[in-house]
Amino acid sequence: MADTDNVKIELRGIKKVRDSREVLRGIDLKFYDTKKYIIVGPSGVGKSTLLRLINRMDEPTSGSILYMVTDIRDIPVLELRRKVGIVFQVPVVFEGSVKDNLIVPYLLEKSGITPDDSELKCYLEQSGLEPDILGRKASRLSVGEKQRLNLARALVCSPEVLLLDEPTSALDPQNARRLIESVKELNRELGLTLIMVTHQREHAELLGGDLITLSEGLVKTVRRQ
Amino acid sequence: MNNQYALIDLSYIDLAIGLLLMILTAGFSRLKDLGMGRDLVLSSIRTFIQLIAVGFLLKFIFNSNNPYFIALVIVIMLGVSIITVTGRIDKRTKELPYIVGLSMFAGTGLSVFILTQLLLNISPWYEPYYLIPIAGMILGNSLTGATLAVERIDSEIKSRSAEIEAYLALGATSGQAGSSCIKSALKASMIPTINSMMVVGIVSLPGMMTGQILSGTSPLTAVKYQIIIMYMIALSVGVTSLILTNLRFKRYFTPYHQLREDAL
Repeated sequence: MADTDNVKIELRGIKKVRDSREVLRGIDLKFYDTKKYIIVGPSGVGKSTLLRLINRMDEPTSGSILYMVTDIRDIPVLELRRKVGIVFQVPVVFEGSVKDNLIVPYLLEKSGITPDDSELKCYLEQSGLEPDILGRKASRLSVGEKQRLNLARALVCSPEVLLLDEPTSALDPQNARRLIESVKELNRELGLTLIMVTHQREHAELLGGDLITLSEGLVKTVRRQ
Repeated sequence: MNNQYALIDLSYIDLAIGLLLMILTAGFSRLKDLGMGRDLVLSSIRTFIQLIAVGFLLKFIFNSNNPYFIALVIVIMLGVSIITVTGRIDKRTKELPYIVGLSMFAGTGLSVFILTQLLLNISPWYEPYYLIPIAGMILGNSLTGATLAVERIDSEIKSRSAEIEAYLALGATSGQAGSSCIKSALKASMIPTINSMMVVGIVSLPGMMTGQILSGTSPLTAVKYQIIIMYMIALSVGVTSLILTNLRFKRYFTPYHQLREDAL
């Protein structure tokens, strides 16, 4: 068991009420650096809600979330979102080419830095995409390729944690397995802490890692790998 | 006696003849079973009564020459415009009338001020023969722009919410994430104004210009007025839409650059 110093993210007493319904009823969890976690549970139990709270795409009703022992409310939210990347269930590509999609994080930061193509190709390769698709229109990619592009785009921000919200639900079984393998590789190569939500047990087993089961808005079980 | 350059007045008998022709048209509609007779009669009578009433009201207002009274008329016109715009929007939120009012006041106020005080140098500033028709024209045209701006920003944010969240997740501010929605709303609001500027004089002769020519004004003077009023309308629509889209946009985001699901 990793010691407290390696706690990357900690959830303390997290509750979330939505439309007068208590979706999360008091979640206490610790996520350690470089480890993999899979969150499972029935539909509507609050898995995606939990992920969205971690990178502050949403606010908890009560409780606190710590990132490297600092309350995330004390971290500038834009900085937090670059450190804690997220890949959504339905892939979204922006207008333009694959390259246009990848340089978005640079443009948002207004750093004036323009990455060269070789750097961008690295991100494509890390996500399991062919490096020569930089010039291709993003809207013409297959669903599987779009999801990998979403992954590559998240990696451009150099995150330390990667949240994956049912990333394979729009993919066929073969593409789903390939995506999980790419994500596993990222954990091995880059030491990314991974937190993946899925309702497919086979994907959970394929990724490996600690299995957190949510039920009725609470943590039911945590099975350590 | 008719003067070549003076406006020929119509008598109430002339109007009654016009109304009779409308009633005959309604009769024709009934004969042919077109089902429009009742609406035609009703709308003709309403046109008659409403415009006669407005005519007497305007005569009273113009004769009053009281700045407070004239300002009150402008305020009432603005109020009716706000109600009209708000009534056309599907998502009627608490703050909507206020942001519409603020935007239209700013847009119309700027245009009216520039035209009446800087270009025409009207004195006194409340001269009703100028102020009321000019304010009315600019407000009336800004109504459509304001409605389109709100409707478009609402629909853009709703339909592109996934894209917006994808930008936010990469560290975008709400302004960066929603900038294309704002651009789209601004473009949509300006389309009717730009279209009318494109075809004016070719496809249509505007009412103000026609009215001035009919009253004996030189056509060249009339077109100068028409040109400047169209520019001022475009300015008003642009300013109104810019302020309104940005204020409406803000309701969709929290101060922490989060898209508010309850606002969608």
